[in-house]
Amino acid sequence: MSEVYQKLKKIVSEKFVSNDLYMRHAYSRNVDPVLQGIPEYVVRPKDAKEISEILKIVNEENIPVIPRGAGCCEFGGSKPIGDGGIVLDMKRMENIINLDEENLIITVEAGISWSKLNEYLSQFGLYTGCMGPGSGLTASVGGGISHHSVGGGGCAKYGACTNQLVSLEIVLPTGEIIETGSQANKYSKFPFNRFGNGPDLASLFCGDNGIFGVKTKVSLQVFPRPDFANYKTFLLPRKSVEASVNIFTEIRKKGVDVYDAIYIMDLLVSVGCQYGLFPLWDNLKRKRGVFFYVIEANSEVELEEKTKQLDNILLTNKAEELGPEIADGNFAKWHYTEQGHWLFAHNLWGVVPGFEPLDAECHTPINSYPAILKDLDQWDQEHSEEMNMILEIAGFRPITGSGPIILIDGNNVEFTCGFTSFASYIDGKYYDIIRETNIKLWKSILERVTKWGVQWYMMGEIMSRLMIEIGAYSEEYYNFLKSIKKTLDPNLILSRGKFNF
Amino acid sequence: MSKIENLKKQWEAIMSCMGCGDCGFAIRPAVGRYLVCPVKEAKGEEGFEIWFARGRMNVLKSILEGKLELSKDLAEFAYQCSECGSCTDTCHETHNPYIILNTSKWIDHVEVWHALRQDLIKAGFAPLDRHAKLIEYMNNPDMRNPYGEPKEKKFEWLNDVKGVSKTGDLAFYAGCTEPLRQKETLLNLAKIFNAAGKEFAVIEDEWCCGSISIRIGDIEAVKPNIEHNIEQIKKTGAKKVFVACAGCYRTLKKDWPEIFGQDLPFEVVNVTEVLLDLINNESLKIPEKDTEVIKVAYHDPCHLGRHMDFYEPPREVIAKIPNTEMIELRRNRNNAWCCGAGGGVKSQFPELALDIAKDRIDEAVESGIDILLTECPFCVGNLADSVKKENTNMKVLDIIDYIATKI
Repeated sequence: MSEVYQKLKKIVSEKFVSNDLYMRHAYSRNVDPVLQGIPEYVVRPKDAKEISEILKIVNEENIPVIPRGAGCCEFGGSKPIGDGGIVLDMKRMENIINLDEENLIITVEAGISWSKLNEYLSQFGLYTGCMGPGSGLTASVGGGISHHSVGGGGCAKYGACTNQLVSLEIVLPTGEIIETGSQANKYSKFPFNRFGNGPDLASLFCGDNGIFGVKTKVSLQVFPRPDFANYKTFLLPRKSVEASVNIFTEIRKKGVDVYDAIYIMDLLVSVGCQYGLFPLWDNLKRKRGVFFYVIEANSEVELEEKTKQLDNILLTNKAEELGPEIADGNFAKWHYTEQGHWLFAHNLWGVVPGFEPLDAECHTPINSYPAILKDLDQWDQEHSEEMNMILEIAGFRPITGSGPIILIDGNNVEFTCGFTSFASYIDGKYYDIIRETNIKLWKSILERVTKWGVQWYMMGEIMSRLMIEIGAYSEEYYNFLKSIKKTLDPNLILSRGKFNF
Repeated sequence: MSKIENLKKQWEAIMSCMGCGDCGFAIRPAVGRYLVCPVKEAKGEEGFEIWFARGRMNVLKSILEGKLELSKDLAEFAYQCSECGSCTDTCHETHNPYIILNTSKWIDHVEVWHALRQDLIKAGFAPLDRHAKLIEYMNNPDMRNPYGEPKEKKFEWLNDVKGVSKTGDLAFYAGCTEPLRQKETLLNLAKIFNAAGKEFAVIEDEWCCGSISIRIGDIEAVKPNIEHNIEQIKKTGAKKVFVACAGCYRTLKKDWPEIFGQDLPFEVVNVTEVLLDLINNESLKIPEKDTEVIKVAYHDPCHLGRHMDFYEPPREVIAKIPNTEMIELRRNRNNAWCCGAGGGVKSQFPELALDIAKDRIDEAVESGIDILLTECPFCVGNLADSVKKENTNMKVLDIIDYIATKI
């Protein structure tokens, strides 16, 4: 075994480090069908101290390190960029450290999943508000904080999960361990507030896509889960995109306290019904866009009032309410009561075998997405030749579009845009041409959407590099980002390659 | 380059794995799901991703793409899986008939693992040493069982029972584990039939059903057993064959017709279906002789439950037993936690099997039951081993044995 292996073994013990070839391939992919990077080693550290020691060694040896939570990134964020380096598998660190029931703050190890955390909190009638990313059943809290994650429920009310952040423990790329917020004061006994003791340095690490430090401990605000909830689903009128914009805008303007509000576009409804995804909507005469909301309240009176306000907005916009049960078409009930958020987050995932999305996730102002959706159609037409080439090989044409459009606190929506295509292995054969075409098309569509001024949040390999390649950052901004990176990580050890560092 | 013809047939499943990781980490209380992979959880802090489905699928993608080859090392990973099917039950599943995610239609992980094992066998990297012994014993003309016991020993239990014949409408396929390791259960089965005034036919020169060989991936080795057993069953004249082993049930009902290439000339049913009939038509009357209520739970064997969607008859039988309070374990039916014995794990990796069983036993003890009932001799054996190792007071019994205590 190599010298590096021996050093890693000394830190974490033999059981928690591997350079087995199969083990390395097991960690070489995320949730996308094309990007792969095979690490040289996989390590499962138990705490910040071990991570600190590992980072000190890799700085001496110039070996890149990529932290991996639950590996849920769809854009190559938690596997190496290129082959080699060390994957830090953070899932050994998934313990609940402390629930401060008086101050409603929970401290956890960063590898814990949102579902494990919320299952624990449910025993106390509590929840995290924002339920993490759309991959919330599995995704880690550390990963969510690294991406300002949204989409797992509750983001119209609570916004991104970083909104609830109180304090972070971080191992810096050179191995120093720091704590932020109230814990920057070494006399503070427990985390209670994020802001103060100087600049909000926790923010530096929120949404950093893992380039500035390894998150090891996270303290979050938690909230009492309200006793009352209502959830309704509506069929939108023709021109459902425009109708959905009006509805989102009115919800914001009238200040209605909504937990979730989501628009599912016509294409998703019609193709989804055609391929058997949505039996609950089979009986809809018109397969148009669908809108649903979830509200929470602390009393029946409050719930009734909020329901009335929302229903007024929907009905004024000529939306037709579907029945109360899931069987009647009430997608919202399933979404809220059965925690199915992850399962429909991406357009037409798996509609035929091997069909997976090549997309990315962004925020955009409410009034801007109709034009972007139209432009996605235009982009699709412009790339008919490549799409038809994939059709000829795979027997199914890629589909361009967006997943559900989700209201986020503030004045924006989150949406996933891209196209759904095949991995390069089809029916016993490997096709380089599909792989190359997929990557070319993927970059092309994301560049197109970027030029609409959207804000990407989970960037991974593909988006963090594309922003530089297409010159989307101003020179001054990128230089500033680079100077922070160089200060914190002079050898560019952590998440090497992201943002072209 | 090793041939991977079986894996290639599974390309749709392998390439449809999106890599979301729910097969490793999902917790969905709303549908009764509390974690997924018994092997990964038993590995504890050493639960690297190769120990659950996503990591394995990533490896298989690389194999299909020609970046990795089969090897003996891969076999060591591949066989540390009980093939419980819990990953399939979680994979992109809504668990709601009105919302369906198609990926769930394309992936049957157990079939993928079978394909890998078959290719490992063909490439000469498997079977592993203990598995090879089981297959050798199974094919030995003097044995025909995976326990390496003399052929005659499998039929010794019949010396102590009455009310069995060589022909009849209803035949009993005894399998290997109960006659050779849990004989008492078969004696109790005969006792129940005697109490009900019913007879069943036994199968002369019954050979191993081949379950273990199929799970290991050696399909060729099992073909003679299937052909022989079908002929032997035909000789009984039975229209219906019942089994008291979950592994045999899956093998006879699902694998035999698939491998044999045609429907069987008889119906295969589970013993609990037969018992339920006997109770419902009042042939079998279970007296209320105890006053104390016994708290029991039912452990769903993977080969009955997730593999065959067979959940209710055992529960219906238990519900008809007097002075018995049935408590559902936290993880039940399609969410049930595996006992750890299946897929060849108990024979090749006995410590792993026990580590998995401990999780299930802890869950059962926590539920406050007196007896954990099940309907699989492998589950009974492994869970009872765990009870012994953990020194708990709770008992593990086959439903047959429990009913026998009541009559």
